[in-house]
Parts: sequence; C-alpha cells; structure tokens
Amino acid sequence: MALPQSLRTSVTPLELELIASEHLIEIVPLITMEKTAFISGAYGPLRPPAKCRIPLWMATNLKLKKKCHIVPPEWLSVDFLQEQLTRETSRPEFSRLPFRFAEIAKVILDVASDDVQNADKIKSLLKDLREARQAKSRDGLQKLDHSELSLPNLCSMEINEIRPFFIQSMGILTQLVREPSAE
Amino acid sequence: MASTSKAISNLAHQQGQTCIAFSRDGKIAYTGGLDTLVRIWHTNQGEDQEPEAAYEADEGITAVAAAEGCWLSGGHDSDVRKYLPGKAQFDGLVTSAAGASIRCLAVDPSGKRVAVASDELSVKIVDLDEITNVVVLEGGHKKRIRKTTWHPSGTILTTSSSDGTIVAWNISDTEAKVENVIDGVIPEVVDPESPEFMHDCSAVWHPSGQYFFAASRTHEIVAISRSTWTKTSSLSDPNIVGATTALVLSANGLYLASACKQEILVWSVQTKRVLWRHPGTPNAFTIQIAFSPTENLLAWTDTEGVLSRWRDAIPAGSPDPVRQTAASGAQGTTTKRKPTPPLWGEEPDADAEGVDQYGDDWIIDDLGDGMEDEPEGAKATRAGDGFVKEMVSITKAQPAFQPGSTPMENKKRYLAYNMVGAIDVTDQDTHHIVNVEFHDRSTRKGYHFTDHFKYDLGSLGERGALFACPPELDHPAHVIYKPYGTWSTQGDWTYVLPNGQRVLGLAAGGEKPMRSLRDPSSSGGDIQGQGNIVIATSSGDLTFLSGSGMERIVIGVEGEYVTMAAAEEYVLVVHRPGATTIDGSQSLVATLISFEDFQVLQEKPLPIPKGHTLRWIGTTEEGAPAIYDSAGYIHLMIHHRRPNRAAWARLMDTNLLERKQGKDESYWPVGLSQDTFMCLILKGRQEHPGFPRPLIQELPVRLPFRNQDPVDSLIEERIARERIHVNLARDALGDELTSPDIDKREVELDKQLIKLIQASCKADKAPRVIELVKRLHFTNSIAAASQLAGFYRLIGLQEKIEAIKLWRENNATPAEEAREGRRGFTYEDAPLVRPKPFQNFNPPPKVDRPGLARSTGIAEQTEFTASSVAIRAGRSRAPQASDSRSTSPEGKRKRGDNDDDLSSNAFDVETKRQAVGESDAVVPSPKPSAYIVIQSVRA
Repeated sequence: MALPQSLRTSVTPLELELIASEHLIEIVPLITMEKTAFISGAYGPLRPPAKCRIPLWMATNLKLKKKCHIVPPEWLSVDFLQEQLTRETSRPEFSRLPFRFAEIAKVILDVASDDVQNADKIKSLLKDLREARQAKSRDGLQKLDHSELSLPNLCSMEINEIRPFFIQSMGILTQLVREPSAE
Repeated sequence: MASTSKAISNLAHQQGQTCIAFSRDGKIAYTGGLDTLVRIWHTNQGEDQEPEAAYEADEGITAVAAAEGCWLSGGHDSDVRKYLPGKAQFDGLVTSAAGASIRCLAVDPSGKRVAVASDELSVKIVDLDEITNVVVLEGGHKKRIRKTTWHPSGTILTTSSSDGTIVAWNISDTEAKVENVIDGVIPEVVDPESPEFMHDCSAVWHPSGQYFFAASRTHEIVAISRSTWTKTSSLSDPNIVGATTALVLSANGLYLASACKQEILVWSVQTKRVLWRHPGTPNAFTIQIAFSPTENLLAWTDTEGVLSRWRDAIPAGSPDPVRQTAASGAQGTTTKRKPTPPLWGEEPDADAEGVDQYGDDWIIDDLGDGMEDEPEGAKATRAGDGFVKEMVSITKAQPAFQPGSTPMENKKRYLAYNMVGAIDVTDQDTHHIVNVEFHDRSTRKGYHFTDHFKYDLGSLGERGALFACPPELDHPAHVIYKPYGTWSTQGDWTYVLPNGQRVLGLAAGGEKPMRSLRDPSSSGGDIQGQGNIVIATSSGDLTFLSGSGMERIVIGVEGEYVTMAAAEEYVLVVHRPGATTIDGSQSLVATLISFEDFQVLQEKPLPIPKGHTLRWIGTTEEGAPAIYDSAGYIHLMIHHRRPNRAAWARLMDTNLLERKQGKDESYWPVGLSQDTFMCLILKGRQEHPGFPRPLIQELPVRLPFRNQDPVDSLIEERIARERIHVNLARDALGDELTSPDIDKREVELDKQLIKLIQASCKADKAPRVIELVKRLHFTNSIAAASQLAGFYRLIGLQEKIEAIKLWRENNATPAEEAREGRRGFTYEDAPLVRPKPFQNFNPPPKVDRPGLARSTGIAEQTEFTASSVAIRAGRSRAPQASDSRSTSPEGKRKRGDNDDDLSSNAFDVETKRQAVGESDAVVPSPKPSAYIVIQSVRA
C-alpha cells in the first residue's frame, strides 16, 4: 500500500462510513419493490406507505433517487441528543450512544436532511457532543498504562481517532514496563 | 342571479337616517326615521297598510330595538323610550344620555337588558325590568361609539367606535372588563354628518358564537374568530366593489345579507359566495337590514326613507334561513341540536349524563371554525326564547362523512387520506387548489389542479380519484372522476346531478394494480378497467357507475346515509335505517354490496358502544371491512365472504396500547393490514391531522385478550389473530383446497402451537395439550406433538395424541372441511325458488360426502380400462360443477377459473387422445376386411 505510515495504522473515516452503511435503518418507501436478494441479505418487500428496514447504503441510494423518505432513528432527535449532551458535560464517563452514531448521523444528515426535523440544531448538537467526548478521550489517554485502558461507551469513530497514538504509546509503555520484570 | 320574488316597498320616513327592527315573534317591524316617528308595520300585511306611529320623540329616531315584552326607540333627543309591544303606547323612559345623541340600541339575547350606545364615550347596559340597574362600560373608547352588538351567549358585548376600533367587553362577571381591542378592521369615520357615518360598522355575531362578521375598510366582509380575535376568512366577490353599508345574519346563521351600492346581496356563509341579489331603491343606500327571526323574510330601510320587505328572499329548495335543517347538516354546517333539558328539575339523570359525555368532540364538520355547539348559557336562553327549537333529539345523529377527510382549518383540508395516498385542498378564496399525492410514486403519478367548483368531497381509489362539488346557483352538483394512468385529461368524465340534488358521499373502488398504471404494455396499465364508482345522493339512493362513466344501477338506501368505502369487489355502506335510540346508540348498519351483481353480501349492525360514534371505515390490505369508533375500538368483519355469517371481531382496543399509557393522544386511522394499524397520531385534544402531512405511524395489532401470562398469552393472541386472517384468506379460495401461502402460514401456526404444547406438557396439563393438538393443521405436526409427549414421559397422553392422529388421517382434513363449508354456503343461499312440497319431481339434491366419495386416482394406465369410465365422467363433470358454485364475489376467483380451465383443457387433451386411440382401435377393423376384399378381387 502506498499510503503514508500515519494513515496505514488506522482506517479512514470514509471506510468507517462504508462499514456503518450495513446498519439497518427504517424508511418510508415511495416505490413498490418485491423482496430482493442482495449479497448482504434479502430486503423488502417495499410496500408504500408501510415502513421497511433496509441497510443504510440502500436507503441512501433510494433517497438520492427520491424514492424513499428516511425515518431518522430515535436517537437522532433534538430531545435525545440534548439530554445526552447534558449528561456528557455533567458526568465523568461517556454517555451511551449507538456504536456507530457519528457515521450514521453524518450519512443521514448528508443525504436526507429534509427528513430530519431541526437538522441544523441536530448538527450543532452532534458537534458539541463530539467536542465533549474528544476532551474526555484525551483525558482518558492520560490514564493509559501498559496493560489496559478502560473507556466504556467509546464509539467507533473515537476509537479510530485515538488508535494511532494509542497503539504506539501502548507499545512503548509495554517495553518500559517489561524490562524491570525481565530482570 | 336575481331572485324571482320581488320586494314590496313603502315610503315610511323622510330622507336621511332610518332604522329597522323586528319584534321577537317576527310579526311586527318597527322603523324609525329623521321625521321623529316610529312606525309599526305588520309583516303579514301588504303594501297598502296604514301603520301606527309613535310620536313621542322630539328629534330624529336613530335606533329601534325589540325586547321581551316591550320595544325601545332612541334618537337625537338623547332619550331611550319604552313602548308596549306591537303598539304605539308609551310606557316610560329607560335612560337618557345627557344631551348626546343615541346611536345604537342592542337588546341582549335573553331580551332583558339593553345596551345603549351614544355620543358619550361609555356604553350603558340597562336592565329593562329594573331600570335603575345600570352597568356602565367605560374606558374602552376614545371616540364616539357607533354600534354595539351582543354575543349570542349574552356574556360579551362588542362596541364599534368611530375611530375604527372594535372593543369586546367581557360582562360575564359583575365587573365588566375589556377583553380585546380589534383595530384596523372597520373604517374610521369621525364626522357624524358624513354619509359614511350611517354605514353599518357593527360586529354581527354568528349564532354559533364562534366568530362575527364586520364590514372592513377594504370593502370586504371579514369573519373574526372569537377565540383568537383575528381574521379567519373573508367574503368578497370580484363583481362587487364599494363599501358595505349594512350587514345581517339569518337566524340560523346560514345566510348573510349585506347591502352595497343600491343592491342587497345574500351570501352563503359556508361557501362564502353571493347566492342571490335584489336591487334596492335607486339613488339611496341601505342603512339597516333585518332578517325576520321566524320567517323567510328580509327587510331593509334606506336613506330615501323607504322600507322594503322581501318575502321568500331564500328561494324554496334552499335550506331555510330560520330552521336547522338536515340538509344543512349534511352539507357540513353545524347541526346545533341541543339535548332536551331534563324533564324533572335540575337533577340530571344518569341517561342524560351518558348522552352528554361525548360533548362536541364528535361532530365531523367540514367548515372548521364555528362548528362547535353553543356555550351552555346560550342554550338555555335561546330555547326559552321562541327561536329555533328541535323537538325530539335525544341522541345527536351522526352526520354523513367521508372516511379520511378533515374540516377546513387554516384554509387547508384533506378530502381523503388512505393507503393509496392523500388529496388535500388549499382554499384560495376565489378557488381551490387540489393536490393529489400517492404513497407509491412508482405506480401512480401525483398531480394538482385548480378547482373552480370547490369540490368538498373526494375519494381516492385504486384506479382513480373521484371528486364531487355541491350545487351552486350557476351550476348543479356534479361528480368528476379522474382515472390514473392517463397523461391527458381524456379519461376524465363528469356526472351531473339534477337540480336540487346533492352528493352526500363518494366511493371509488377497483382492483389493485399489479404493475405501474403508466405501463404501456398490453398486460399492464389500464387493462384491468378503471374501477367502480358509487355515489350517495340526497335523494336517498346509491348510484353505481362503471369506471368509464356508464350508469349501472340505482339502489335505494334504507334510512339515512352515513358513509361508505369501496374495496376491490364490494362497497361497504354505513347507513341508519331507523332513528338513533334514546340511550345514545347511533343504530348504524353496515351493508356490503358486491360490484359484480349488486348482491347484498352482509347486512350487519355496527358494534359501536352507546354514546360513541363511527370515526372511520375502510378495508384492510387483504380486503376485509374494518371500522374504528370514537371509543377507540377497531373491529374487523370476519367471514364477510360467507353470506349472512359475518361477525365483527374486535381486533384492537387502542386504549390498551402501551404507548398510550400516561399520554393524551388519539389515533386517526389511515389503514389496516394484517399485523399493523396504520394511523396518524394526534397529540392532546387535536381532532384532525394538520399540515404538512404527518408521517404514517405503524402500531402493532393486538387482540384485546385479557390473560396476562407473559409467554403463553402472547402466543395465544398471535395464533388467534393469525387464525382470523388464515380463515379470511381461505374464504377467498373458492373451490380450491389450499394455496401455498396459506400452507406456509399454517405451518407457522403449527410451530407456535407446538410451542404451547411443549409448555403445557411441561406443566402436565393434559386437557390443554389435547385441545391444542386438535387445532394443529398437519398430521406431521401431530406426530411432532406426540413425540413431545413421549419426551416428557406422558405415555397416556401420547396414546391419545396418536388416536387423534389416526382419526385425522381417516377423516377429512380441516382444509377439506373448510371447502365443504364454503360449498355449503352457496347451496344454502341458492334455493330461493324452491318448488312446493309434493310438486317437486326433480331428483333429490345431491349430497356431497367427501368421506364417502370414491377416491379419484390419477392412473394413466386405467384411462382405457372399462372400470375407469365412471371416474372419467365424474372428473369431467367436476369443473362444471365448480363453475356453477362460483358465486363467491371476490376477484381472486379469477385465478380459480383459470385453473379450472387448465384442468378442463387437460381433460380435453385426454379425451382427444382417447378419441385417437379409439379410432385407432375401431378403424382398423373394417380396413382389414377391405383389404381382404381387394386382395380377394386381385386373387
């Protein structure tokens, strides 16, 4: 691979988005389609106005062709995010959020911001959440020792962010600690 | 546009300001003028009467009013005088305004108090029985007051001032206070000598008390809502320009009369259009109009001092201006029927409570604001007043409605909202914009159009959209059908009703399209036809039309029509054959009429609890009729394909929904499928969905079973629900035994049953196990159950299960029994023309006993044997027999027919082959002899 060293150690956010695209999401279809087999599984049938659960990649595709409305997940609402943000800022631990919330929220807000109520408000809330959580994960890294780092409820995008630094420093710490015990 | 009847006029007073008022019983009209006289006219006498006159006033009369037991006059001499009713006999002074001219007198709805507006900045409310009892409303106005009016409840007084403000006073308490000041509506007229000062600027309250009308400074007539004190709608006509000089509403609030430029205009309050016109006196403008409170009579006075009386201003055939009629109810106006007051004193008995408890939240009105019942206070006063009375109305009869429609709110409404799509209407004052949208955009294409007829009924079918408009003066009622799938409007057709008839309801049915309607191929698109249309008209009939506009039949409706919904092969009509009952039941009946041959498939009263009303009717995805009522129950008509054997199964009780607990929300149904209830969720006290179109929510359907066992009851409920739908699907099969889909579902059902059996085996409940085993559909499943019993070492039970299995193997399967049942229904229905006993020479009817029937082998080798002749004959008979039995109305029959055709074709092939074989067998026999002959000749 011709990628520089810094990038080779972790996946890119785009790749994470791709992985998150397999996540199932609810849509209101605007077209009829029989149950159809894809490599990842069989989805459908689409029968408007009944809702249907299909993978995010398919929902994105249909949405871009104006063939469905995406029903935003429950956690992608102003009320929920506001509550999480207050919890995030008032308590030391990470609040519970879906593992791939950042990726899914980004995809949905990119392609279907018209289906989300208060999309702008949600965007700013997500940004605040991200900043609050980033600060926490930086703090958490200080607690790093040679054997473990426990950060419950850390999400995929955040793990990915600290991964390059984390792996290297963990390696160094392990070396530092091992020597005395070897003697 | 002018009405046929002509007004009669009398010169009553000298030129200048005049005024008019009707007595409470409508028999007498009092007119006053600048000549200081008040003349007393008998409305039943013609032009040649010599009216009595009251001479007491010193200066010109500016206001007259009629109260209970007296009439009043006031004028520039600043005295308000009281006279005996119907006579010019002076009865005393009521009040005096200390040198200021009296401008307006308004008697409250009970007829006991009079509000006096004068050039002073205050309004006096004088008790007519005790004239020292005076309330003075002060501090609301900075300029002289021109007009004052009462709210129908008698608790609000509105005063219009010459500075262009309208002040609403709340006088329900002892202390009167200003409730609101409305500025900028009525024109500002400062000079009391200018002709504009005589124009009517009063706030004319609608009898419903929800809004009032006023002539605005922009020369419109605006309606102002009581709740928000803002303008909600306006009455205007492009042909009418100029200021409105007088304004009045009819006693029941259906019509509004206004005067503009020497012309009297009568408007419909609902449609906001001018219905009739009448010319006024030339070179004069009308100052005051009055509707008679008891008769169809309109009277007005003008600046020439002429009194004009227009008898039958509302032509016969239109709703009466006084009475509340059923027609006005069907049209969507309020039916202000009040429950009769309790007969014995104040004690409300239990029944009256029961009737009252559903209040006014059930009226399905089309007009939006102003449709609520009057406040309690108004009821009592009006009932005792000799105004409008409803003699017998113990339970309010639910008016006709279209399922899925909403009233006009904020100039928008839905005409239809169902599983196909939605029709919404935007009111643009002079016209409507109709927008048709579909859930499935691939099959049908949404569109919108400008509507000059103001369609007020709509139905969205599988094959086309149907609209109907009410009759107006220049056009009768008509129905327009717009089938889908055509790019142009060529497919549209219009069905015009004769004059005087109106459309009460519409339904458009049709088969669900299998593929896009725009598909040009021969198998797709419109080859399946354009559906079926049913129109309910005010002449008490249902008119059936084909999708291309051909009239098929007119069927009479027993009683009042309420609503209807069309499915693929039938129409579900809800009507009220009798009257509502005293104890609160609507007594509605649902009738299922097939499109094929107009057979009545079912006639079944609706299971609506007392005191509740029908909210929605429709059909499920699978084609079964369903209803939703205001009690929150969903009922499904099971066995609807079996003639006269239907029952209403309670499919769901929305009050028990988990999400409803602790929340104030209601559900507005859109559709129903096997496992989900599609609805819009309305928050709080909301009655109808608003705009933009909310998302359809899916709620799981749960039978309202009461067992609360966490595991078993869930499975039991699921089995029972699935059973209902399997039975419905099976009823649709006709002569076929089963279908792959049903088989699959039955296998699933058996799996669930086995789970229950296992749980029961574990708990050692043998009777329950046996009962469950009997419900299994397949012998394989019974074998599995037997193994289960063995596993739990219940040997006795296992033997019993084996016995059941054996019995099942020897007897007909449940599927076969069900088919026999279906055959039986058609048999039972058929012999309507049975010959008399002892005159029947026909052979006895064939009894079909599948258990005794000879087994029908499919053995090729037996085809040519002699013993198989009977079988062959029997088999070729079978398809014919099945055809004769096919009275089942559903569309799915077609597939059955095809199959039968296939099978009969197969038999044809066989018989052909057989014929060939026979000819082979027979022909050779003469041939050899011929050869022999020839050979013998040669020899």
